[in-house]
Amino acid sequence: MFRRTSARLAVVIFAAAACMATLVAQSVAPPLVTTQELLNGLASDGSRWLMFGGSYTNQRHSPLTQITPENVSRLVPQWVFQTDTAGRFETTPLLRDNVLYVTGPLNVAWAIDARTGRQIWQYKRELPPTGGLTACCGLVNRGFGVLGDRLFMTTLDAHLLSLNMKTGAVVWDATLEDYSKGYAATIAPLVVKDKVIVGVAGGEYGIRGFIDAYDAKTGARAWRFYTIPGPGELGNNTWAGDSWQRGGASIWVTGAYDPELNLLYYGIGNPGPDYHSESRQGDNLYSDSLVALDADTGKLRWHYQFTPHDLHDWDATQVPILADLTVAGQPRKVVMLANRNGFFYTLDRSNGKLIVGKPYVVTTWAKEIGADGRPVILPGYVPDEKGSLTCPDVTGATNFWPASYDPSQRLFFVNAREVCATYYAWKQEYVPGERYTGGAGQRATGPDMRAWGALRAIDPATGERKWEFPYISPSTSGVLTTASGLAFTGDAEGNLLAIDSHTGKLLWHFQMGSALHGTSPITYMLDGRQHILVPSGTTLTAWALSDIARVPSTR
Amino acid sequence: MRWIYFVLIVVVVAAANLVAQDVYLKIPADSPAKNPLEGNSDAISAGMGAYRVRCADCHGMDARGIRGPDITQVWARGRTDAALFRTIRNGVPNTEMPAHPAPRTSDLDIWRILAYLKTISPATAAAPGPGNAATGEHVFATNCIACHRVGDRGGNLGPDLSRIGAARARAAMARQIRGTMGSFRTGYEPVTLTTPNGQEIRGVKKNEDLFSVQVMDTRERIQGYLRDDLRSVSDEKKSAMPVFGPDKLSDAELDDLLAYLENLQGTNAAPSSAR
Repeated sequence: MFRRTSARLAVVIFAAAACMATLVAQSVAPPLVTTQELLNGLASDGSRWLMFGGSYTNQRHSPLTQITPENVSRLVPQWVFQTDTAGRFETTPLLRDNVLYVTGPLNVAWAIDARTGRQIWQYKRELPPTGGLTACCGLVNRGFGVLGDRLFMTTLDAHLLSLNMKTGAVVWDATLEDYSKGYAATIAPLVVKDKVIVGVAGGEYGIRGFIDAYDAKTGARAWRFYTIPGPGELGNNTWAGDSWQRGGASIWVTGAYDPELNLLYYGIGNPGPDYHSESRQGDNLYSDSLVALDADTGKLRWHYQFTPHDLHDWDATQVPILADLTVAGQPRKVVMLANRNGFFYTLDRSNGKLIVGKPYVVTTWAKEIGADGRPVILPGYVPDEKGSLTCPDVTGATNFWPASYDPSQRLFFVNAREVCATYYAWKQEYVPGERYTGGAGQRATGPDMRAWGALRAIDPATGERKWEFPYISPSTSGVLTTASGLAFTGDAEGNLLAIDSHTGKLLWHFQMGSALHGTSPITYMLDGRQHILVPSGTTLTAWALSDIARVPSTR
Repeated sequence: MRWIYFVLIVVVVAAANLVAQDVYLKIPADSPAKNPLEGNSDAISAGMGAYRVRCADCHGMDARGIRGPDITQVWARGRTDAALFRTIRNGVPNTEMPAHPAPRTSDLDIWRILAYLKTISPATAAAPGPGNAATGEHVFATNCIACHRVGDRGGNLGPDLSRIGAARARAAMARQIRGTMGSFRTGYEPVTLTTPNGQEIRGVKKNEDLFSVQVMDTRERIQGYLRDDLRSVSDEKKSAMPVFGPDKLSDAELDDLLAYLENLQGTNAAPSSAR
């Protein structure tokens, strides 16, 4: 009996060992995602897309050139992936070793075979009971971060998760804050060195915003930067009374990182209550600001406030883009941002000094940005019980949908909106976890108030517009550009558009059935063919040229 | 090698547990028959804010109706708290009134809005406006029915009016008929398409994008056109609906017509559970 069992065991062990050996021979374990790969950004071989903006600059500009203005009309769909959940994509997918990692609405995420669109694993996180969640503007998620063999994902109930890339299993789970107090998280994490950087949403719920860094291995919190200074801290006196405690200043769009300066750049959300001036007299730092933080410590290096004492819900949560420019003959390291308040800004990213501040849509509330960097505010645009008509509207001149920057042309591409609104304000008592806006904005309508929009190409050294491609209604889509001179974006009616980034001429379009809302396509190489991956509605669609032969790589 | 089967079973069970995590939300079975927050001053002020942000676009800052109906009259006309709660939660199918599902809209949010509305609603219904509904039906049959449908009769070029009495304030209907309403309802914007050989197609716009336009023409043909196949697509400034000034419709006839339209509550229409 004993002998038989041990003999069987020996056979099993031998078989298992042989099986392992065969597996090892057939495939090499994919190398871990390294910090060097993250620093390299979008590699010229197009083999990966590892963070929200493609690279730490957030340029969303790919070096790939197989798809060109001449052949873009020959794009054909390769596959379609459907979520089978309610809600729509606002995510930027990641690509690594021919596998896509995608977050969706309702705390769901997937690993998908990039060759076929077939699911490899799915992760679902149960949402808190009905009424518990306060995510103001959709139960969405903007994407994963990645390092080593771990993915990082924020959740609607204000957690940060680390998932095993191979299985989707939770490795660790860190609580950012208590969701029942109005905190939520939708941001795509940014991985810098050994830390995962995230922020919290909830600017309409009287939160006190913060940016956090967590140890990628353990999930332990490394530092926290409150976006509203506490008592005794510089800037706390820009909030009358105790209004700082519930001033909002949320963070829900991924920032940029400069490795040389070791600085993180994040756009901060609106002050709350959104519209009621007397509830929070003062500049309300660091709401509506760009902050530069030391990536190791979270200490504030500098800030630039776009809209001091904002009364129009103009979060500065647009994607900041880094570039090196020549302005007035001088080389400058800049950070650029097309703001919800109607102005386009180019700042010196070493010190936060204003280089360019120019309107890029019809803007009524401020005359200009003064030499001191503050807007010169015009009278008559303070919301009240009767309402005041102001341009831009609440959604803003642009918003969280990412812009793109082509360094070879030195052009900034943004989907801009031409919409005005009547803003109302009234006093509102704060109740924890409740919506706290102190007013409302209503989009202006009528024959003289047509809402429209355009893709605009802006020279960041001057703020001048080079070209525009107008839409019949404002688009909420992001922009991807490529080194071959293409801009991929979408309109509000659901068309995927390919536009010549040198001229603004439309080259190709396809009706996706739902808009590319709040995100842009990504692009990568797969088996020798450049792919364009388009998140729209509840689908992901992969496109490639019909007449380029596949070169299968099955290592 | 039975232990291998055991390991496999453990793995399968673990996987099944992972899959069983459900993201779909449970909607509470029954809501209270009476507003639990009625008269609560905190709820009323929160409800005012929520109302203005989420409802006032259609129902007006004073809730007396713009595109949507006057909702200060709903209690006086016999609607219950529970029914109004369901209307907000589920919307009204086939109308512009959307559903407000959880979790974005909590039960609390809805009760607060209703608590606020109650404070600005009279206990008794407003006296009906002047006019004779029976005469108004004749006015309707003469002037309106070619384009507007009530129940199973009438045209399709203009909006279906089977429940217009529940959907529009009387004053808003009067403005529309007299031609003093500034804007067009989505899906009924007048448009003229010109074909390459100069033929004009007039109709109302059902949809459009950068490359195409979908219309119902004056013969009620629904059809999509590529912009590239047309010489021009021009939006008309004037509504497809004729202006009925006092020369065409006397004040008395207008009152009769409005009395008829106010009576159109959609009661003949299919499932009324949402109302």
